[in-house]
Amino acid sequence: MFLHKGKSFGFILIFSLILFIFIALPFFIDLFYQTFLTELFVWILFAISFDLIFGYTGLLSFGQALFFGLGSYTVTISILKMGLNTELALLLSIIIPMIFSWFVGYFSVKLSGIHFVIITIIFALIGNIIGETWTAFTGGSDGLTFSPPPFRLGLFKVNLIDIKGNYYFVLALVALSYLFLRRMVQSPLGKVFISIRENEDRARLIGYNVQRYKLIAFLIAGGLSGLAGGLYSLTLKYAAASYLHWSISGHAVVYTIVGGMGTLMGPVLGAGIVMSLEHYLVNFLQATDLVVGIVLVFMVLMAPKGLVGLIQSKLKRKEASA
Amino acid sequence: MPETNKTILKLVDLNKAFGGLLAVNKVNLSVQKGELRALIGPNGAGKTTLLNLITGTLRSSSGQIFFKEKEITHLHSHQISHRGIARTMQITSLFSGLTVFENIWAAVQSRKKFFNPFIRALKWQDVKEKTDSMLELTGLKDKAQLISSELSYGDQRILEMGIALSTEPDLLCLDEPTAGLNSQESMVLVKKMRNMLSGQTIILVEHDMGVVMELADNISVLHYGAILAEGPPKEIKENEEVKKVYLGSEHA
Repeated sequence: MFLHKGKSFGFILIFSLILFIFIALPFFIDLFYQTFLTELFVWILFAISFDLIFGYTGLLSFGQALFFGLGSYTVTISILKMGLNTELALLLSIIIPMIFSWFVGYFSVKLSGIHFVIITIIFALIGNIIGETWTAFTGGSDGLTFSPPPFRLGLFKVNLIDIKGNYYFVLALVALSYLFLRRMVQSPLGKVFISIRENEDRARLIGYNVQRYKLIAFLIAGGLSGLAGGLYSLTLKYAAASYLHWSISGHAVVYTIVGGMGTLMGPVLGAGIVMSLEHYLVNFLQATDLVVGIVLVFMVLMAPKGLVGLIQSKLKRKEASA
Repeated sequence: MPETNKTILKLVDLNKAFGGLLAVNKVNLSVQKGELRALIGPNGAGKTTLLNLITGTLRSSSGQIFFKEKEITHLHSHQISHRGIARTMQITSLFSGLTVFENIWAAVQSRKKFFNPFIRALKWQDVKEKTDSMLELTGLKDKAQLISSELSYGDQRILEMGIALSTEPDLLCLDEPTAGLNSQESMVLVKKMRNMLSGQTIILVEHDMGVVMELADNISVLHYGAILAEGPPKEIKENEEVKKVYLGSEHA
């Protein structure tokens, strides 16, 4: 549903509360968990950008890994090999994946259904193969390690080597991206995306240039996936060809489906729950993926609208019975 | 017949072949402004194919289509929509997961040129007002917050017409609006259509002869993709050839 009133206040409250908790947390947890949460923020960004094209526009793209990997390599190579500053490297980690997503999208959005899925996988595979083989430039599967200079914007300066500084830096950018996407899906442009998801033919018949708007969604998602990759490398100080592998896209798919597609809050919840589950299980189980797989199958069968969908329908029932 | 300068749609020698089959065979057709033109013909006569050509869903094999004196033969569906042709489908085509309000909204909003990603859609007061007035017109105001797939089938047909009308078309193509309705429901629908569609230029594809005879100003009869006869309902009713291929003895 795309047009609802009066929920802004509730959203601002919940959003501020969550943000406040994450701002306060580093004072209570050790560096290990600060890094874990920073990584979680990155995956949240990756998942919500995926939700824009999958949950809102209806395009199941497994090509997002390509843009994630490209963002990651853009940051790494700009700093390591070209000596660029972090600000510029991060900006490029949005722009370069966007250029590539224009290219990939140009060919992909003409296709629909399974054909779209397959062509996006193929593009990501090509990226991965290039990454694996062009070792002089990418470091191949060993990857590249680097050390980012501080991020400077006017008087504002963040030392990214400092784990806490890096934590707040990533948190801020992910929160901003979330607000940006939330506004977008509520905007007139977002309504176009949702119309396309709901019925492409109908959207076309009422005058929407479906391919163009799919491409726009693809570009925005590609840029934000790139930013996620860029932040990931800034956090780990590392990039590798495996980031380009299409299965990286699978993370976003799992988080979005478990949490609830087309909700933005869903992928956030999904990422939080699945990553925490994996983190917890890894202590006494090797096959964590198996458990995640079972959770995924369970959700698809029992709650196709994800956790957020479950909560919404519970609330609705409460409202109806009240 | 009204004079030719009021012609809004003109098909010239239009052909559509699927492999060896000529689904639309050298069709010449003129629709006048304000007219309700019914397209009838046996199953497979090419009625829906003809609508698909007019609305850009299919490309013609040869021939030309003029709308408001400009050629639209090679335009895409979305461009044709902006030229002023809207359409409903034989199988209802809605944004089925969205509310009735949102369905109409999407169509009203489509007339805008730029979709700002940084404002809330509901800030568009003019779109909101137009959406409300369309809900009023279609009589779906009370059901505005229902998910459109939860509507009765008849209401879904009405909603689809509402969506088409919300694009402010100069020509509305209706593909079997009463398909799937029983005769009572058809009558209700026809009554609503009279209300909603007064003054509209319409091409109506319809199987229900009662509906056609009641609503149409003129009828074109298609047979094997070609126009067999054309004229006001009374003439068509009396036409021997038409009787033979289509209406059958029950209508004679």
